[in-house]
Amino acid sequence: MTVNRKKLGALLCALLATAVVVSAAAASHTGTPGVTSKQVTIGGTFPFTGPAALYKTIPVAEQAYYAYVNAHGGVNHRKIKDITLDDQYDPSQTPSKTKELVEKDHVFAVVGSLGTAPILSTWKYLNQKKIPQVLVATGDAYWGNCVHKKCPGAGATTPRPWTMGWQPDYPGEAKVYAKYIRKTKPNAKIGVLYQNDAYGQNYLNGLKTGLGAHKSAIVDAESYNLTDSAQVIAAHELAMEKAGADTFVIFATPQAAIYALIDRGAIGWSPLTIVNNVSANRLFLLSAGQNGASLNGVISTGYTASPTVQANLKGMQFGKQIIAKYAPALNSSWAEGDGNLVYGLAVAWTFVDALKHAGKNPTRASLMKALRNLNESGKNKNPFVYPGMNVKTSKSRTFPMEQLKLEKWEGGKGGDWHSFGPLYTGIH
Amino acid sequence: MRSRIPALVSIAVVAAVISSLPFVLSDYNVSLVTQVGIFFIAVLGLDILTGYTGQISIGHGAFMCIGGYTTAVMSRDHNTNLIVTMLMAFAICFVVGLLVGLPALRLSGAYLALVTFALAVSVPLLPLKWSSFLGGRNGVQTSQTVSNLWVYVVAWTASAILFVLAWLILRGRVGRAFRAVRDSEIAAVASGIELPVYKTLAFGISAAYAGVAGSLFVLANNGFAAPDEFAIFLSLQILIGAAVAGLGSLWGVLVGAAFVGLLPSVSSGVPVIGSAHGQDVVFGAAVILVMLVLPDGVAGLIARLRGMTRA
Amino acid sequence: MATAESSRLESLRNRGAALGGGGGTPIVIVILVGVAIFLLVGSLRSVTFAQLTVQGLALGAVYGSLALALVLVYRATRVVNFAQGELAMLTTYIAYQLIKWGLSYWEAFFATLAIALVLGIVLELALIRPVLHRSVIAAVIVTVGLFVLIDGVVNWIWGGDFKFMPSPFGTKIYHVGGVSIARLYVGMFVVVIISVLLVWALFRFTKLGLGMRAAALRPAEAAFVGVRVEWMLAIGWGLAALLGAVAGLMAEPSQFTLEPTLMQPILVYAFAAAVLGGLDSPAGAVIGGLLIGVSLNLVVQYGHIGPLKITSELQTPAAFAVIVAVLLFKPSGLFGHQEVRRV
Repeated sequence: MTVNRKKLGALLCALLATAVVVSAAAASHTGTPGVTSKQVTIGGTFPFTGPAALYKTIPVAEQAYYAYVNAHGGVNHRKIKDITLDDQYDPSQTPSKTKELVEKDHVFAVVGSLGTAPILSTWKYLNQKKIPQVLVATGDAYWGNCVHKKCPGAGATTPRPWTMGWQPDYPGEAKVYAKYIRKTKPNAKIGVLYQNDAYGQNYLNGLKTGLGAHKSAIVDAESYNLTDSAQVIAAHELAMEKAGADTFVIFATPQAAIYALIDRGAIGWSPLTIVNNVSANRLFLLSAGQNGASLNGVISTGYTASPTVQANLKGMQFGKQIIAKYAPALNSSWAEGDGNLVYGLAVAWTFVDALKHAGKNPTRASLMKALRNLNESGKNKNPFVYPGMNVKTSKSRTFPMEQLKLEKWEGGKGGDWHSFGPLYTGIH
Repeated sequence: MRSRIPALVSIAVVAAVISSLPFVLSDYNVSLVTQVGIFFIAVLGLDILTGYTGQISIGHGAFMCIGGYTTAVMSRDHNTNLIVTMLMAFAICFVVGLLVGLPALRLSGAYLALVTFALAVSVPLLPLKWSSFLGGRNGVQTSQTVSNLWVYVVAWTASAILFVLAWLILRGRVGRAFRAVRDSEIAAVASGIELPVYKTLAFGISAAYAGVAGSLFVLANNGFAAPDEFAIFLSLQILIGAAVAGLGSLWGVLVGAAFVGLLPSVSSGVPVIGSAHGQDVVFGAAVILVMLVLPDGVAGLIARLRGMTRA
Repeated sequence: MATAESSRLESLRNRGAALGGGGGTPIVIVILVGVAIFLLVGSLRSVTFAQLTVQGLALGAVYGSLALALVLVYRATRVVNFAQGELAMLTTYIAYQLIKWGLSYWEAFFATLAIALVLGIVLELALIRPVLHRSVIAAVIVTVGLFVLIDGVVNWIWGGDFKFMPSPFGTKIYHVGGVSIARLYVGMFVVVIISVLLVWALFRFTKLGLGMRAAALRPAEAAFVGVRVEWMLAIGWGLAALLGAVAGLMAEPSQFTLEPTLMQPILVYAFAAAVLGGLDSPAGAVIGGLLIGVSLNLVVQYGHIGPLKITSELQTPAAFAVIVAVLLFKPSGLFGHQEVRRV
């Protein structure tokens, strides 16, 4: 018995000694996390698998651009390392993956993370730790509205200045659709299919605001869940048809949008159809078309250049070269007009632009300052956005992109998006 | 009869190691060990149910869901003290467990597995329905933030308390009744044990443990509760942990919990297994192997080893 | 003692009736006919109702196919196979791969059925039989392990993103009196029913089928007359895997994409269908599947319990409610047999 106790005592002493030695040896972290003299480490969470996996080529395009920049000397002699983790578009996985980026990989900034709900699940954590959560791949209006003031509706009891979006915001986009409907079909009876979360609700509220006094034009608004089957989506459309809708607005993520487009034909319904731009990638529509959806006349908006319709633009040729050299597996995707790739290149371009303006020895604060003073126009224009559009921020302008162009699908199963109408500015 | 001293020594060693880890490990790695503590509680709870009364449940993720949301919602709406929310989770899940245990009385074996499986798949969908109150897909965020260290300390303290509680329950009259139920229901009834009472009680206790684990699970996830956190895989993880653990050994439950809690993060750096789903291959293969080769889990292995050294 | 004797005789008699394949009481038949009339009348009166019913029958056929697989396994080995859905998904991916390697759709379809048969047999022999001797619960846990393992293997080999398979039925839509019926739905229904009928014919008219039924119901006696019982059980698993493959191959085109989560929602509906029909009744499984399929589709549109609207997130909880209700009030399901539970 005594032998055991002695052994126990010895074990405890050894443990304590180890603990003291190790903690003394552990140097405290000095300097900006993620920045060394040779490298800047950033990271983001993306849906490589799961219900939004149709977006998985966005981070690949971003990394291709960083590879290009690195091959040309990097930014202030620092190469960019981008760590991308899969959160499956699941807001319950994003916190642990983000923690991994921050506490294990010690990233300088969280860049480009995708998804409204995923960002909402981590913005308190990142803002409290004063870590940039920037150029997020979601157009929720919170990223611009909650910078200087709090947004209790979104759970932000303090402002969130470290979070920033990039793409034109969803309510602004919905207002463009409202304008279009009011102008071309004032007596429309609208059926809205929207995702049952903050993402979908943001769009729907924007549409209602845009319709103003005429919001009763919405005869049926049906929310769907992310994992709903094609048949449940069809059931929602049947309900809208029954309610008399002759205009169909889709505020969805790609898989549901594809189902929605296909199901219209399956139930024999042919309304005027509008699709939100993040689900309007040419590839998505092509696969809907292959499964029987009739695509002509479908409306959406755009803010990036088209690798197919605008292939001769300098920016598009530049993009094609980058993909060919640094992500050649995506060559066929580019040739088919995968908007994800253009989007990824454009966002990465903005990050590098900001990093260049963040000083010789960038800190998180200096990066944020550069991001809040973007001026991508004129000589310094982003080659990947739609010609004529700019990316700008200032103290008063917290939304980097405030312009959209309407586009209509023409050419049937193998067709493409063609812009028409005016450039909408100051959308939100 | 096992001598008590070696058991006390092993408990003391475990306690010493757990207490010293935060000084030795980085903050991030501390959060990984917290996951082990959380699964320790859940696996212990399932062990009480399946190991001691022979009722299978593939639905403990549902109880974790209820416990986790209790903490998140009470914190968000009423700023309730987080420890108090854990006690509430314990109580609420105990009652829910009793309610599930009642109809479970009429089911056996495969049927009970089926029903608990369906429960595990259905409960996490409910926040999607009552999304204004339960947050829907947007989830629920606690209003208080806690550090990794706080969750670590609370999780392991709760583990210790619940372990002692389990030991007290199982060595007493209730435990003897549980074992009698498992070994032969007919004999148990014949000796006057009220079957329904004890079988339902086991469910309640087991669910209460899972509820506390659920609270901690949410707190460890930055205080964020969302439906997919409690998807069916969670219930399967707990079952796998219990199968690996075997019955009646502290070390068994620790190994089972460590296996289930650490594998995801430990394996993410390893090639081949590294992908997020490579770990599923290991999980699945592990439980199949355990069932084929080591049916009494780590506990059985330890018992056999002890038997070998004695002889 | 007398009561024990008579209850044993009762259960033997019931099992005898089961050999004939069926056991629905008249009341159940009447109810089902009533449901069929209800659906017909509703479809004639409302296009939306008809649309949802057609969709529901197609999906229900898939649920029924998977439910039948569950029932076959249960009858043979008394195990609830939690991996049935994932197995079905795996075989669908195998078909995908065969098509990528150059086979035509239907070549791949039949090749996959053969592969599924073998896979089911191998799994039963290698993983289930060694554990079955110990307890049914151990075997159930093995199937849970298989669930996770197969999910991991598929994600590992093929990745967790969307894949596209050619649709066997094209995109044609038939218009029948204002109701749009996709050829896809007709195809799904027909293929499943043909498969089910072929399996039924196997059981009813072939020596192998007789051997399998005997091995499941009276293993000792069957062995005595020379039936290789262990093999029969394994073939039962093989046929179950084959039916699962049919379910998976028909489920995939209904979702237009192939991803690893294909069968996961369907598994719970198949459980509900199997329980509703009676876990030991093949006919019950298929009818249960159709009932579940149609009612889930209709209830999302028309379902209100007071102020509570049954929206899509309540579909799975509704299936759970069906399972609990059946097990509480009529545990043998619509067509199954009362098991004499000894306690």
